[in-house]
Amino acid sequence: MKLINRYVAEVGRRLPLVKGRKDIENELRSTLEDMLEDRAQKSGRTADEAMEIELLTEYGAPQKVAETYDPTPYLVGPRMFPMFIMILKIVIAAVTFGMTIVTAIQVVTLSPMTGMELLKVIGEGLLNIVSASIAAFGNIALVFALIERFAPASEFKLDEDEKWDPISLMKEPEPEDIKAWEQILAIVFIFIVISIFNFNPQIIGINYMTGNEWKVIPILSEAFFRWLPLMNIAWVAEILLNGMLLRAGKWQISSRLFSIAIKVFQIVIGYFLLTGPSIITVTAESLKAIEGFDAEAAQILGTLAQQGARGVIALVMFLTAIDIIKSVVKMFRQKTSM
Amino acid sequence: MTNSESLDNVVLELRRGVIVLAVLSQLSDEQYGYSLLKLLSDQGLEVDQGTLYPLLRRLETQGLLESVWKLEEARPRRYYVISAEGKKLLPKLKKEWAGIVSVMKKMLA
Repeated sequence: MKLINRYVAEVGRRLPLVKGRKDIENELRSTLEDMLEDRAQKSGRTADEAMEIELLTEYGAPQKVAETYDPTPYLVGPRMFPMFIMILKIVIAAVTFGMTIVTAIQVVTLSPMTGMELLKVIGEGLLNIVSASIAAFGNIALVFALIERFAPASEFKLDEDEKWDPISLMKEPEPEDIKAWEQILAIVFIFIVISIFNFNPQIIGINYMTGNEWKVIPILSEAFFRWLPLMNIAWVAEILLNGMLLRAGKWQISSRLFSIAIKVFQIVIGYFLLTGPSIITVTAESLKAIEGFDAEAAQILGTLAQQGARGVIALVMFLTAIDIIKSVVKMFRQKTSM
Repeated sequence: MTNSESLDNVVLELRRGVIVLAVLSQLSDEQYGYSLLKLLSDQGLEVDQGTLYPLLRRLETQGLLESVWKLEEARPRRYYVISAEGKKLLPKLKKEWAGIVSVMKKMLA
């Protein structure tokens, strides 16, 4: 029985952290002793070490036996796997998208670059995407593994467990209706923007006090105001579009086409702003000129402001491009459903 | 995967489905693990120990079985018997099984 005791202890050591480990060990010992006794009776001889070895060999390696008692042998089980994959796809796509934007902004803001510098920035961007994706994967897997272990199935109902009603299929697809308040709000907002940039540009500036006097450094540069007439055209067109929508009460092919045209125009303006001289006056030098401004902080802030401005333009251009794609898709859907 | 492996897997799946019913049906009288194993084997259903013992624990956790340690025999043994909950479930499982057998008989005839 010495070997059986050692075998049971070996299995016990490898058992997962489940309740009643001692019980499992005692039951296993009892079973093995029954089996050994049975074997001895059948063979007509007394149980010896050789018979024990034979029995234990048949019963299997301690590790394998211990594994059969693991109630959750999966990191993420079948119950949660579809949800795990879905979230993983969304997060990895978002991470890749975000890091690509960051890399694109770097490429734009650091230009002009030599070929090697460009390759380096792109290479680093790719590495960042890979490492961020791996980190996201690890974190999501960790969260799901914890839920798998600590949230019993009865307490963690997934969407597919909920009652589904086929009547939901009979509901008409969302119409192209617009919400009037959104259009009104947009018109008001565009008016404010037009009036600020055209008539009160001094509002956008850095206010600071020197002695007893407030001073203002304008933020927007001359380069910005050079493109203001084009921006005004785009804004007025936006007001017209919102007016059209308010009157029609819904999106139509004509309003979609008009909206796409405005957005393309906005991207063109964005391109000029991005590739031309900086649209903001905040530079390391202009900040250093402010009394009491730390030179190092001025350097960092100035660089950040310059790169940030171009980054924002690039981001707005990108989001506008996405909007165009969405509008085109919606327009085709609308066309096919007519 | 070879044909033989595929066959083994399918057979394993088929057997896995019936073990719960077989175990519950044999525990109207209390049995300890090894005696249950032999009881099933004597009736032609070979079940691996690595399958049976964790299954007994799971069924007990689900409230379908009850167990008690008995110390009066040659060695301490854990005896299992079907619980009131298990007794309520068993006829339903039997009915399901009869339905499956009847359908499959027709299909395979």
